[in-house]
Amino acid sequence: MDKSYLILVINPGSTSTKIALYKNEKELFSTSIFHSTDELNQFKRISDQKEFRLQLVEKTLEENNISLNTIDGVVGRGGLVRPIPGGTYLVNEKMIKDLQKAEWGEHASNLGGIIAFGLGKQIGVPAYIVDPVVVDEMEPVARISGLPELERRSIFHALNQKSVARRAAHEMGKEYNEINLIVAHLGGGISVGCHRKGKVIDVNNALNGDGPFSPERAGGVPAGQLIELCFSGKYTLQELKKRLVGQGGMVAYLGTNEMPKVKERIEKGDDKAALIYEAMVYQVAKEIGSCAAVLKGKVDGIVLSGGLVYGEKFVEMIRDRVDWIAEIFVFPGEKEMEALALGCLHVLEGKEKAKIY
Amino acid sequence: MHRILVINPGSTSTKVAFYEEEKLLWSTTVSYKKEELSRFERILDQFEMRRKDIEKIIQGKNLDFKSLSAVVGRGGPFKPLESGTYKVSDKLLYDVKTGNVQADHISNIGVLLAHEIAEKAGVSAFFVDPVSVDEFEPVARISGIPELERKSLLHALNVKATAYKAAKDLGKSLSELNLIVAHLGGGISICPIRKGRIVDVNNANEGGPFSPERAGSLPVSSLVKLCYSEKFTYPEMKRRIVGNGGLVAYLETNDIREVEKRIAEGDKKAKLIYQAMAYQIAKEIGSMAAVLSGEIDAILLTGGAAHSSMLTAWIKEKVSFLGPIYIYPGENEMEALAMGVLRVLKGEEQLKEY
Repeated sequence: MDKSYLILVINPGSTSTKIALYKNEKELFSTSIFHSTDELNQFKRISDQKEFRLQLVEKTLEENNISLNTIDGVVGRGGLVRPIPGGTYLVNEKMIKDLQKAEWGEHASNLGGIIAFGLGKQIGVPAYIVDPVVVDEMEPVARISGLPELERRSIFHALNQKSVARRAAHEMGKEYNEINLIVAHLGGGISVGCHRKGKVIDVNNALNGDGPFSPERAGGVPAGQLIELCFSGKYTLQELKKRLVGQGGMVAYLGTNEMPKVKERIEKGDDKAALIYEAMVYQVAKEIGSCAAVLKGKVDGIVLSGGLVYGEKFVEMIRDRVDWIAEIFVFPGEKEMEALALGCLHVLEGKEKAKIY
Repeated sequence: MHRILVINPGSTSTKVAFYEEEKLLWSTTVSYKKEELSRFERILDQFEMRRKDIEKIIQGKNLDFKSLSAVVGRGGPFKPLESGTYKVSDKLLYDVKTGNVQADHISNIGVLLAHEIAEKAGVSAFFVDPVSVDEFEPVARISGIPELERKSLLHALNVKATAYKAAKDLGKSLSELNLIVAHLGGGISICPIRKGRIVDVNNANEGGPFSPERAGSLPVSSLVKLCYSEKFTYPEMKRRIVGNGGLVAYLETNDIREVEKRIAEGDKKAKLIYQAMAYQIAKEIGSMAAVLSGEIDAILLTGGAAHSSMLTAWIKEKVSFLGPIYIYPGENEMEALAMGVLRVLKGEEQLKEY
């Protein structure tokens, strides 16, 4: 019988820390620890929250009778490390140094590697991170925009994209690194990646405003008119940034980022809601079409994933525009904990080699 | 026998041509020095000078006004219009004279000049497929924030003329074809044409692939930061993306022959940037293929840059899976204007009303 592995998953968000315990692919336990703003405000920097969150994690495990000694590996959500190729990375001193100093930016997910490393050390097992948002496998040609000072960067939902890409490969009976896929992560932000033989050679940057608009982000907008708006004196920099990320996209047109509400309005005959919904689909389809050109039409599958995909209509509307490109796979939602656990498992099983940061 | 006079005012010249049916009988250009033009405060003030010069040309060619069938002028950034050939109406003349147009541009006076000459000849004046052709579907107008609507502005004259040529070559009518037309010039327009209607376009001044002189789509948040950095004034920023963007920004030239020369000499940066332009053109064509749900009869590459076999080969490599690709290099505005009017005079196409 194959050996089984117990894997502890740590996923720190801005106001919570999610933890889960996996036995191979199977989730045994999961919970979320919520943190109040007051609790977190006492720390100047995100990395200072380490001890605070670590102790809460230990306490929670203890309360649930999970003995640290049985754990074979710890995996944390990957944070803002330097741009790296995708994969499962061993957390080492060098990475910890970058995360602690927030060398590549401050984000709650930076604590993923830090806490995992702390726990791993305590238990005496390795700690990992998997496919952080800074995964960068872009080809040089994809980095060029139309102005040298504004380079296109690879920042995207790498964890979910890679994980559903592997799932699609598995369903096809193929290896991820022998096929070409277009993967659309459709959530609060939208990223569409061109996966060529296991590498994401191009992807729209959902944070920096390129690609389709999403429930709360504007995506690419007309550049000349945007410049006019910047110089109009109507917005401060902070306001305009918020208008593009957070208050852009569907929320800017319809006043809500909640899809169920939008669907309800459409059902009641709200034409504007229907138009904006269709426009979002339209832009996603266009982004998928542009990825097909990047892959020269050699596409083995299109994978749709994320929260928006729960709606069957959404999927049908995308299908209408792009199903001629390749077979479509639909994996609703986003399973971050499972994706992290599997990334760790593949390394523990020896199916994949951990990468060194 | 239809005899058509074509008038095309550009920023520093006026081109005049005379067609008998499809045949060009003569064409000539009057050029103006910048100093000559700088004494005019408004573009419209150039009208008299340009009119007189056109009449001189006509006299010089011994052209009898009475023998003309029609006069056609280049259209400008008028209000959004369906594509096609239009009669110059009083309403249009009024809109142009009162500035009720999308931008102040020399092409606006094309219709004023055409009207003036046509009056003398006792015939009608026309314009064909101006840059403000707008056949967007509602869904294409949405961007990601309501105050920045996507607008249809494009190289409509050449795009439509090329589509007509291809339809003829394919032995079909434009109204039964789905095409993607890529106009590759100083600016780049990529248009999905569904049964004759241009249902979307990148808008070369606002987005899409970068071009020899324009930046195209840019990472939005970074662009906003740059605008607020106080490094550039508003006109400088505008110029940075239209005029000094794209190839000019990376390679300090808008001349693709120069870029290709550098590539031949082993300049790696020039090659990367030029490839990136082809890459972005291919991506835009791919996205328009999704607009047409993959039902594409042909992809047409046109405009000055379509002369480059290097560029078109890179584009083909990425998009030939979408359908057959035909290349119609260059652009012939004079011919496109004349043919637009000829189609209407021959009854092949219905005249549109402004």
